[in-house]
Amino acid sequence: MKRAPVSKDAWVGAALERYEQPLLHYAARITGNADLARDVVQDTFLKLCAADPAEVDAHLAPWLYTVCRNRALDVRKKEGRMTTLQQGQAEAYPNGGLGPSALAARNETHAMVLAVIDTLPHKHQEAFRLKFYDGLTYREIGQVMDVSLGTVNNLVTAALMAIRERLRSEMDLAQEV
Amino acid sequence: MTQQLSDDKLVAYVVGELDKAEHKAVEKALKSDAAARHTVAELRATAKYSRQALLEWGPTDLKLSDGQREVIEKRARGPRMTDVQVRPAKRPWYRLHARQIVGLAAAVIVLAVLASIMGPRSARVLETAGLQKSISPFIVQHGLGLREDMGASLGAQPSFVDDPNLNYWPGHNTEAYDLIVENPFRDVTQDPLSTFSIDVDTASYANVRRFLNQGTLPPPDAVRIEELVNYFSYDYAPPDGDTPFSAHVEVAGCPWAPEHRLARVGLKGWEMAADERPASNLVFLLDVSGSMRPQNKLPLVKKAMRLLVKQLGENDRVAIAVYAGASGLVLPSTSCDDQRAVLQALKRLESGGSTNGGAGIQLAYDVATRNFIDGGVNRVILATDGDFNVGVTNQGELVRIIEEKAKSGVFLTVVGFGMGNVKDSTLEKLADKGNGNYAYIDTFLEARKVFGQQLGATLVTIAKDVKIQIEFNPAQVGAYRLIGYENRILAAEDFNDDTKDAGEIGAGHTVTALYELVPAGQDIDLPSVDPLRYQRQTRLTRAAATPELFTLKLRYKDPDADVSQLLSFTIEDDDAPFAQASEDLKFAASVAGFGMILRQSDHKGTATFDGVLEIAEEGLGDDRYGYRREFIELVRKAKALS
Repeated sequence: MKRAPVSKDAWVGAALERYEQPLLHYAARITGNADLARDVVQDTFLKLCAADPAEVDAHLAPWLYTVCRNRALDVRKKEGRMTTLQQGQAEAYPNGGLGPSALAARNETHAMVLAVIDTLPHKHQEAFRLKFYDGLTYREIGQVMDVSLGTVNNLVTAALMAIRERLRSEMDLAQEV
Repeated sequence: MTQQLSDDKLVAYVVGELDKAEHKAVEKALKSDAAARHTVAELRATAKYSRQALLEWGPTDLKLSDGQREVIEKRARGPRMTDVQVRPAKRPWYRLHARQIVGLAAAVIVLAVLASIMGPRSARVLETAGLQKSISPFIVQHGLGLREDMGASLGAQPSFVDDPNLNYWPGHNTEAYDLIVENPFRDVTQDPLSTFSIDVDTASYANVRRFLNQGTLPPPDAVRIEELVNYFSYDYAPPDGDTPFSAHVEVAGCPWAPEHRLARVGLKGWEMAADERPASNLVFLLDVSGSMRPQNKLPLVKKAMRLLVKQLGENDRVAIAVYAGASGLVLPSTSCDDQRAVLQALKRLESGGSTNGGAGIQLAYDVATRNFIDGGVNRVILATDGDFNVGVTNQGELVRIIEEKAKSGVFLTVVGFGMGNVKDSTLEKLADKGNGNYAYIDTFLEARKVFGQQLGATLVTIAKDVKIQIEFNPAQVGAYRLIGYENRILAAEDFNDDTKDAGEIGAGHTVTALYELVPAGQDIDLPSVDPLRYQRQTRLTRAAATPELFTLKLRYKDPDADVSQLLSFTIEDDDAPFAQASEDLKFAASVAGFGMILRQSDHKGTATFDGVLEIAEEGLGDDRYGYRREFIELVRKAKALS
């Protein structure tokens, strides 16, 4: 079996550097709480320490996101936060100090985009964020969310089309690029 | 001007998800499609704003605490440290009567005695068991593009960039397998108890066979060794008392590690003649979504169900519910007196639409509960390729629905169909939570096994929540390893906890578990902890001085009971070499060896395809239905592929 050339130590360190922030945001969206998210992400990296780099390295990102997601869902269940985000309902992060997405935007167009995202079904939001925020491929998103490639394709397309509709009403989008 | 290219293809184009050929094709088509060019421009702008907006979202100071980082960095540097945990005081020793003497295996002395049952002794046992249980699911998806059969809902099909790193088993797509981390050897002085739930599922074998017959080696995580071993029935004597099953233990040399011993625990459920089968209330819940169209899916489901219905009679009722985009009842619960009505309804089924498994499951359970037969077989039979792509598709939520419904006394059979799209891990989980069993059917022959020869085992549950706990004698056994059952490991204290769910056993079923044992005194390289400062290690009881190898304890509940029964046996090793092992043990060992090779297991020792073939042939037995000979063929195929 081929081994990753770097030490475990350095390998985990590099992964931590690259994925700490995005995983924290991902976990925070699922658990609804920044502190829970920290625990989830810590667990995720502890699991990475026990993993075989030769097996995991080739698909590190989906591995981390999958572990993180499952852990976060477990934690949410334990914490009794079973209510998934419904359509039209903005997320609240009571303890984590994370506000509704749209408030974070400094720019009007960005606020509009985030507001539309907030109204999407949870699954659409998740797939869309994994694509545009986390930069995963469709295939990786399918692995992480445990859905088929076709489903990912549908979710991302539907989300992007919804945002386009909203922006279209405000500007001549085709001239924007 | 109308746009020729579908939106999802344009989105895939804009976000760079098309492969080279598709990308070029779109580019070419765009030249003559002004509407599509306009859409692409809009999508580009939308994608740009989306990316920017999302990157802006969320506080940038969301960070792990320094302490958390430190823990991770420390763990990354060195071997896993054992965290100290405080546990309640030890439970007192107490004694229980074993209710029955069950079967005797020829090679070993099996005694049903007044057994000492030990409460959970140390936090470490709990901890290690806990670690096993929390193995993180990891899904492997790979493929060459979208499923061809989704055309109805998608229009023109984009095909996607193939990531060479991910596509390590080319030719199969979107199959999901949980990562299996094999059980390691455990030091008996530190982990004297091995506890797990039985598993009668056999789906992994049919799945492995499918891969091999298609000319590829299966992905390692598709190989669940216990399911391979349990695919075959073994000639264990049925119980003669009034316990629902008998237990048979055999110990012999270990073929892939000559210095080790191989112990087999075999359970056999009582056999039931066809005319003894209790009245049945069955609800078929059939996935008729678009993805079920291929010959080896819905048409095969219909054939399998027809086979089943033909064996039912006036005491049996069948309802048929279907689900696709919406779910509905095709046939209300109907007595099989009128077999023709049922068969006609089956015949009319056609596929189309996307899959909302959640609503269908609700409906099926409702129908089953309404027609509940006390003391009878009440069962939902779910036939699907497992690709739930609309509605309740969150696996956790589906599992929750099923867990809730299982309390109604309705059992579940999950049957996976088709190739290339089986959500193996989802289906197995559903079956586990639904007091159910899971089979994978790829051919009509396999349908005959599940719904023909073994119909009793498939339909009639004779004991539920069957758990096995083994206490090893440290004077005889230095270390042990349970082969397979990775996702069935229980914490030691779960054994006596009747609220903890475990596997079911059906009429006539056999269940086999294998342990690889390292005799006491042999060197084995196990991760160790430092000696304790405040406690002395193991103090042996008088029983440890006997030649007993281990104590086998079984717990089970009658199908409608809430309180478990306990059976207990002590086992000695008569030092039989592997050459003298029974045909059944030889065959089971060859299957386990095959599984380890396919899994690329660290524990496969000297196992080779040739060795597996040799032992399998010695263990062929009378092989009435030809399953063992088929296995030998598969090993040959695997050998040729490797």
